[in-house]
Amino acid sequence: MAVRLSLASTWRAARPSKEMLPHTMTDPPPNRELIEMLALSRSQKLPQGGEDTQILELLVQRDREFQELMRVAQEQGKVHQEMQVLEKEVEKRDCDIQQLQKQLKEAEHILATAVYQAKEKLKSIDKARKGSISSEEIIKYAHRISASNAVCAPLNWVPGDPRRPYPTDLEMRSGMLGHMSNLPTNGVNGHLPGDALAAGRLPDVLTPQYPWQSSDVSVGMLPPHHGNDFGLEPPGHNKENEDDVEAMSTDSSSSSSDSD
Amino acid sequence: MAGVMESEEQARNSFQSELEFIQCLANPNYLNFLAQRGYLREKPFVNYLKYLLYWKEPEYAKFLKYPHCLHMLELLQYEHFRKELVNAQCAKFIDEQQLLHWQHYSRKRTRLQQALAEQQQQQQLPHGNATAK
Repeated sequence: MAVRLSLASTWRAARPSKEMLPHTMTDPPPNRELIEMLALSRSQKLPQGGEDTQILELLVQRDREFQELMRVAQEQGKVHQEMQVLEKEVEKRDCDIQQLQKQLKEAEHILATAVYQAKEKLKSIDKARKGSISSEEIIKYAHRISASNAVCAPLNWVPGDPRRPYPTDLEMRSGMLGHMSNLPTNGVNGHLPGDALAAGRLPDVLTPQYPWQSSDVSVGMLPPHHGNDFGLEPPGHNKENEDDVEAMSTDSSSSSSDSD
Repeated sequence: MAGVMESEEQARNSFQSELEFIQCLANPNYLNFLAQRGYLREKPFVNYLKYLLYWKEPEYAKFLKYPHCLHMLELLQYEHFRKELVNAQCAKFIDEQQLLHWQHYSRKRTRLQQALAEQQQQQQLPHGNATAK
């Protein structure tokens, strides 16, 4: 019985004190009768067997357990209170963290915008620097194309004037390209009659050097390397390489007659 | 050494010929000529036109005397434009518009001069009235 009691008590200790309290109270229920009986038996001093002592011991044990439980319950209450306080603390900290998070996000957004705009600005600065031309050069060029009436008609221009905003038939033929291709002089090569007429009206001076033929080109000025290959996509495949310049004329390699 | 010099000479020649050729493109009659002979249909020629776009860069463009050619070059990149150029009417229309545009600034200048002359006349008139009295 003692073993059973000790087992039971250990089992009870492991459970929360709230549950345990009813058990302690009901097993066995200490009522007035029992206490009176015990008091009576003590005053009688009768050796009533071990039963009374057992019951007494049981009672004392119960009381002890009860006290223990109350103590534990009190401790648990304290712990619970502490827990609540800490939970409130944790909540507060959580709020703070969230606030900081929001602020961080905002700051990051603002900085990202600023960085992006700065990058755009840098890009536009680069672009502007790349395209910078000296104003003198621009003025020189503007003067060149205006003085020659290439972009603005001469003020006394009337229909019938042979001057044009593009190189005329005569100018084209008297250029380098014109001389490279040995053009036969029969017919007007597809130019409209008006143009050829205008060209024919002018006296045929000895190959005038027109400024549009770059006689003043600097030595360092070269076209980007192209390798003469404008054929189909696979470069090494075809051999037709002479069609890029001789557009105005027949293929120079095939023309046998050189007479003008 | 001779080989290197030759290629420089070649490069200079090709620069000059390309300069001349691209400016010829400003002439709508010439464009019509090219179209009618079928050059504008050939792929190598179209590739060449695309290659010629380098003349738009400022360091090359400063050699062009007839800047209209750059606009024509841009238009020539489009197949539709190249197809339309076969018609003589199309070329004539372009020619007319080009000439009108060419005369735009001189017209504007004459109008400004006229306006200025009228303004001066108006200014003189009240003075004339005042002195007549």
